[in-house]
Amino acid sequence: MSGLKSLIVRSETALTVVQRASIFTASVALVVLVATFGWLVFGRYVLNVTPTWVEQLALLLICYIAFLGAAAGVKEDTHLGVTLFRDMLPDSAQKVVIIGIDLILAIFGAVMFVAGIALMKFGWDSFLPMLNIPESFRTLAITLCGALIVLNAGIRGLIRIVTFSEWHPNPILQES
Amino acid sequence: MGLTILMLVFGMGVVLGVPVAFAMGIAAASAFWFEGFPMLITFQRATAGVSVFSLLAIPFFVLAGEIMLRGGIAVRLVKLASALVGHFKGGLAMVNIFSSMLFGGISGSAVADISALGSILVPVMKERGYRPDFAINVTVTSSIAGVVIPPSHNMIIFAVAAGGGLSVSKLFLAGVIPGILMCASLAIAAYVLSIKHNYPSEPFPGWGEVARAAGAAIPGFMTAVIIVGGTLSGVFTVTESGAFGAIYALLLTTFFYRSLSWKAFVLSVTGTVRTTAMVMILIAFASSFAYLLALYQVPERLSNTLVTVSDNPIVILLMINVILLLLGMIMDMAALILICTPIFLPIAVGLGMDPTQFGIMMLMNLGLGLCTPPVGTCLFVGCAVGNIKIEEALKTIWPFYLAILGALILVTYVPAVSLWLPSLF
Amino acid sequence: KELRGWNIHVEDYPVSIAMESFAAEVAERTDGDLTAKTFHNGVLGSQPDAIEQIRLGVIDFGEFSLGPMGTSIPETNVVSLPFIFSSIPQMYELMDGEVGDAIGAGMIERGIVPLGWYDAGARSFYNSVRPINTPADVEGLKIRVMNNDLFVSMVESMDGNATPMAFAEVYQSIQTGVVDGAENNPPSYESTSHFEVASYYSLTEHLIIPECLCMSKVSWDKLTPDQQTIVMEAGRTSANLQRELWQAREAASMEIVQAGGTVVNTIADKAPFQNAMAPVYEKFLADNPDLADLVNMIRDAS
Ligand code: NA
Ligand code: NA
Repeated sequence: MSGLKSLIVRSETALTVVQRASIFTASVALVVLVATFGWLVFGRYVLNVTPTWVEQLALLLICYIAFLGAAAGVKEDTHLGVTLFRDMLPDSAQKVVIIGIDLILAIFGAVMFVAGIALMKFGWDSFLPMLNIPESFRTLAITLCGALIVLNAGIRGLIRIVTFSEWHPNPILQES
Repeated sequence: MGLTILMLVFGMGVVLGVPVAFAMGIAAASAFWFEGFPMLITFQRATAGVSVFSLLAIPFFVLAGEIMLRGGIAVRLVKLASALVGHFKGGLAMVNIFSSMLFGGISGSAVADISALGSILVPVMKERGYRPDFAINVTVTSSIAGVVIPPSHNMIIFAVAAGGGLSVSKLFLAGVIPGILMCASLAIAAYVLSIKHNYPSEPFPGWGEVARAAGAAIPGFMTAVIIVGGTLSGVFTVTESGAFGAIYALLLTTFFYRSLSWKAFVLSVTGTVRTTAMVMILIAFASSFAYLLALYQVPERLSNTLVTVSDNPIVILLMINVILLLLGMIMDMAALILICTPIFLPIAVGLGMDPTQFGIMMLMNLGLGLCTPPVGTCLFVGCAVGNIKIEEALKTIWPFYLAILGALILVTYVPAVSLWLPSLF
Repeated sequence: KELRGWNIHVEDYPVSIAMESFAAEVAERTDGDLTAKTFHNGVLGSQPDAIEQIRLGVIDFGEFSLGPMGTSIPETNVVSLPFIFSSIPQMYELMDGEVGDAIGAGMIERGIVPLGWYDAGARSFYNSVRPINTPADVEGLKIRVMNNDLFVSMVESMDGNATPMAFAEVYQSIQTGVVDGAENNPPSYESTSHFEVASYYSLTEHLIIPECLCMSKVSWDKLTPDQQTIVMEAGRTSANLQRELWQAREAASMEIVQAGGTVVNTIADKAPFQNAMAPVYEKFLADNPDLADLVNMIRDAS
């Protein structure tokens, strides 16, 4: 294995770390989400003072759960897609299409990253009601998701290119 | 021209196998680019699409279901179902369907249903001489009950797509009878097939055992009662009810059943994150996509076309059903609810249909799409759980399709099926 | 060129009719060079999203409440102060004059050009427990408010329990006691059927928040000077029409809710309420010292 090739293949490990960190962050957000709602109901019925920040914080957290989780999903290849038509192609053509999709996703991730930064700039002087923090904290989720998709899809595409002869387009079919 | 680009890019993406959520996002971005709009609008719409308060119920419902699944509540529900309906002809098939009704009352996620009940029941069914394809088909089709039987996060998505004016409690109530009806017609299909293949019945364990199984299962089933009851009584909003249901399930499985390990808890949370993210990213980019459909006035154009084809309500409803079925075969539920509701709901309401009834019809219809190729998440998961080929399952699934279609026709043309129960409250 | 317009209301609402008349006038006076299509019913997104979209130039025009603009345009927040205007006619007069110009300048700076100030009436409290005659009557009531610190501190300064909540959840929440009431103008109180579950409507008229027919600065800059004049004048005309339609609609709504058994009470002396708002003003001015001039400009007018 040449130096460059092995470097690309080994970067997979780093991606796994990034993916676990995404899921971990999103999981923490979920636990906080549940806990604050418990606090909301407690506040309204027991303390008779409704914590007014819960709703808006929840709307912020759900963005992180959605976008970080979705970026990890790109790495884990769990997003729903239609492979029926692709499966009709010969194996090597399927592999080209799969690499093409990796690259398309990476480009889309890059667009998402750039647009996320633009949205953060745009929202810097708008404030999330009740939380009084810049709107940019919400759109940061978009920016992070874009960056993570570039990494996850881009590097996987590169790995698939440099190891072109070593993988099967449909691992499940290969086994049976 | 912009609309052509939107559809063409989306269609090409789907055919090549780009994940549907991203195919919608990429198509929307291309159309926005063509219109000369700033690129960030695609993602502004996506963020706005998920920052909707009612949608917060989704992670809560999913979490409650995950905890029930991993915390041993699913097993207890199956035991109760076995004690109650196991002694019928084809007993385990009946147990399978009845468990789905009970479990569907909690998770609202058909896929969770299959992996929970399928992994428990399919091996037992095979052992007792049921054909594997039959076992899988029963598991897959009955899992759809969870979409219609409350609580169901897809109902929340529908309420959001319908414009927020729709009462979620009414939808919850409206789903109960169609859900039971669907399970009943699946049970009839399974019964007839069981006679044909001479499948066994299980011995009746006696009323003492029924009582014991019920005693073990009822605290778990209370999760559903808390979520639905909290919403109906108005003690909590839907979202709060979901959060409370999740907290209750957590406390119950940790301290009462003592069956939720730390590892199972972590798996429940990360599983919820994955499921929520998958649904939410579909919702996010479906929002960008639906925004363009509204901008290009697709709903108006489509409904004008539909109305010129026929002015007979029965025919139009049939056409809507066929279109939804075809779309449901190639796309996932959440995205379709968001895209199709603004298009078809006004037509249905124009024909005098209640929006709630339309919602139940649509959910059942798209639910059927979850068990059909080429894109049938439930079918795929079911076949993976049962370790059989999709083609094999498909050869013998048609009686179950017919059963669901029968129930769907009743829901479509008999308003009382969905609207009678809510009218009592 | 066809302009795209955002509107959250149903097609026969005063705002919607006025927007259609704006579109018709623009089309007629530009001989069809400039037409406008209004997307009613909020099909192009919720109000806060649409405000972002108009700033980005994705939507060309729209009709917004100044309330939700407050998170991105500080000047507009001034009209969300309770009892800032003393009456609807005074609001018309000030918004059509230098107050409107000052707020408009802030909006233009953030990419939104105001064309005409629409009327959204005065918001009053309604609840299912008791009529409100004095600030003390608010004490302990769970009142749904819009998502804005000002409204939370408004209710809290009367010792009420302010509960921000999604609008769609309010009906059922009042019905089942999650909250005791909310606050809104008569047409909203009536059209949402909230009067069926909250039968005490107390005309505190604590918030007079004008609305605005606006154009995106991006789209505005693309118009010729002649077109700009026409659009601006059509905006003014439509505002006059909207105000008339609104008054009629408000009267009709009051009739409906009273026929439906609502107990309506007017407030003989609003001074105790106004005095109770002192902490709200204090905090607002401490947080926004730049806006003191604008606040005083409105308060000093009489
Ligand atoms: Na359910
Ligand atoms: Na089942």
